Amino acid sequence: MKFLDAEKQVNALDITPDKQLIAAAGYQHIRMYDLSSSNPNPVINYEGVSKNVTGVGFQEEGKWMYTGGEDCSARIWDLRSRNLQCQRIFQVSAPVNCVCLHPNQAELVVGDQSGVIHLWDLKTDHNEQLMPEAEASIQDIAMDPEGSYMAAVNNRGHCYIWSLMGGVAEEPTKLNPKHKIEAHQRYALKCKFSPDSTLLVTTSADQTARIWKTSDFTLLQELKHEAQRWVWDAAFSADSQYILTASSDGVARLWNVETGAVEREYNGHQKAVTSLAFRDEIVRD
Amino acid sequence: MAFYDNKHWLLSHIRNSFISSDDTGMCELVMVGEDIPRKLANVNKFDCYPGVDESDDEEDETDVMGQSFDIQSDIDFGIHRQRSNTAQRLEKMDEDRKKTSRIKHIKWEWSSAVLTDEERAGLFERKNFKQNEKNVHIKKNSLLSEQLEKCPNLPQNPFVEYAKYDGNDQIGVPTRKYGIFLTMLEPAERNYPMHVTVLAQAKVQDLIGLICWKHTLEHGQHKLKDSVNHYGLYIAEDDGEVDWDFPCLDPREIVGKFGFNYLALVERQKREDDSKPTEREESQVILSQEPWLKPKSQQQELEDLIRMQGHMIAMEAPLYQSYRVYIINKVRAKAEIHLGVSGEKVEIDPVMQQKVSAKFWNRQKAVSYDMDNIAACDLIDAKANSRSIFRLVYHHSSAASGEQAESLQHHSDLASYKHHDFEAEHRTAEEIVQKINHILELRSSVRRKEYLALRERKSHRKRSFHLGPR
Repeated sequence: MKFLDAEKQVNALDITPDKQLIAAAGYQHIRMYDLSSSNPNPVINYEGVSKNVTGVGFQEEGKWMYTGGEDCSARIWDLRSRNLQCQRIFQVSAPVNCVCLHPNQAELVVGDQSGVIHLWDLKTDHNEQLMPEAEASIQDIAMDPEGSYMAAVNNRGHCYIWSLMGGVAEEPTKLNPKHKIEAHQRYALKCKFSPDSTLLVTTSADQTARIWKTSDFTLLQELKHEAQRWVWDAAFSADSQYILTASSDGVARLWNVETGAVEREYNGHQKAVTSLAFRDEIVRD
Repeated sequence: MAFYDNKHWLLSHIRNSFISSDDTGMCELVMVGEDIPRKLANVNKFDCYPGVDESDDEEDETDVMGQSFDIQSDIDFGIHRQRSNTAQRLEKMDEDRKKTSRIKHIKWEWSSAVLTDEERAGLFERKNFKQNEKNVHIKKNSLLSEQLEKCPNLPQNPFVEYAKYDGNDQIGVPTRKYGIFLTMLEPAERNYPMHVTVLAQAKVQDLIGLICWKHTLEHGQHKLKDSVNHYGLYIAEDDGEVDWDFPCLDPREIVGKFGFNYLALVERQKREDDSKPTEREESQVILSQEPWLKPKSQQQELEDLIRMQGHMIAMEAPLYQSYRVYIINKVRAKAEIHLGVSGEKVEIDPVMQQKVSAKFWNRQKAVSYDMDNIAACDLIDAKANSRSIFRLVYHHSSAASGEQAESLQHHSDLASYKHHDFEAEHRTAEEIVQKINHILELRSSVRRKEYLALRERKSHRKRSFHLGPR
């Protein structure tokens, strides 16, 4: 695990599927740092975006990268830089807060500040819109690895759950509203499903992260610590037994999902930790 | 205005190029005084630089005399020449350029080529994510869980809060680098400094915390006190010798203020009182290993270590080392001195004391004894407060040299041997005595043999006297 500081703030982080690089989305650029070397400088700098880049992620084979930004667009960047043939852009009417790729690797979900969720089919360019709550900005969107649920959190602390149908072969994904959780009293910041699809974590400005069971969407665990401030990001371990959180108090914490206890604290940051990326591995014995 | 057809300008340019491209500064020294003819050229029409005549009298005098365009001559040159702001800025720009040249820049581009359906289908192919489902419900273990299980009860490092002052993890903030000697470590480990980079804005206290934190990571087996208040930072030499002449750095000061390269972390004494010798029990407790608590194999190892250490001390005995001890003079007053011991001689240097009281007592003068004149060195008393007194016996004849020694041998008796008594912390005292004895054994000087023989005889005499009446 390694965090590399860029010059300005980092809005989002993701590690490439081959675990060689970490991408940090910041103001007007996405910078890639080499994880295996001690080089503090970026190795690749993606630029040409006019405002903050708020979200970043990779196609599972590392063919392309997707980003969302405050310039009201979601982009697909070709990572095979020789031929920039799959550069794609999807424009919406409000600044994009989050982007999420469907596990089928062909549909991108984009959440914006006006509260609209866009479902963008990358192959056909067909798109659909839905708005779960008026005048509430969508903060984050997540889909579980099995492709059965989608979750979205907004600035009122509400979490919406849809069950997903289709999405296989040529069939487009259908969303059916399933559940609404009053997850937090204040601003919600991130939501993420566990790799085994049984848990959902939401993080919030109320200084907690909460873990919900996907079977009935009841609260399993509240992750609270007296020093903890805004919880900006979270990530599950590959076996869904542990969770990492990033907080404004400059500390990243490792929690045991079952007991809710802090197992480790990672110090070293001078300022708030606003984002984290974590790639764990399953070991077979 | 100067042009390239201006011979004078070209000459001046060449001259200055010589000066500025020579890092040693020698060129400058030679050439700077050599320019007088040009002054004359202007004043006396002395044709020193051909082509310089009235025709360029539009140039004002200072311009002609001017050394250069950017470079200021400095006579008091050294290895470091003052660089101009421009040069520094240029260098920084150059560095930045180099840095960015190593980064691949990719600008967002709109590809004009329209993807064919096949290409598009290939790139944005729908994966069958449902097939992953089967593996999901098997009980799995992740790498993270495995690592965590390996060390379930990681003890909480009390210095973890200082980790954030580590300058290695920060980019773009001023930092300071120090070599830190940890005086509380085992002798084998403390020879090399630990390199610590700290944020320049951190306080000395934070630096101590950071050192403790790094130390606990590297030498987990050596326990430290759980608070930074137990430690102080002293200025040190690059060989690890602590400079006791200065007090420890104020823990509240900002690190950036100090420009030292080497510091030593020392366990603080109980009371901060520099006039009185204070006890150092705390460090003693940590350093004395309790052999009975250790398993047998470790004990064996420890014995070997001690034996090895003995060899090392014997081998290193002739190397110069300085100790800070107290000399006890005739009126039983103590004065602090530096005792320098090497294979050749023993030196006594008084420590400069600002205190007025020191002047009244018999001030110890700096003296030096040839090792050949040293007869013995023994511990004579161990005080309760963990301090010991040791005696250094020397032959009192400054003129005694090698060839005279034999002749002197006949009429010298115990009276010609004098001694100095010193007081030091028990461990230090033992070390000095051991060191001097190793050297004496190596040299086996005439004086020592003679002294030992005399002492032997004397003790015989004493015994016979005591036994006599019975």
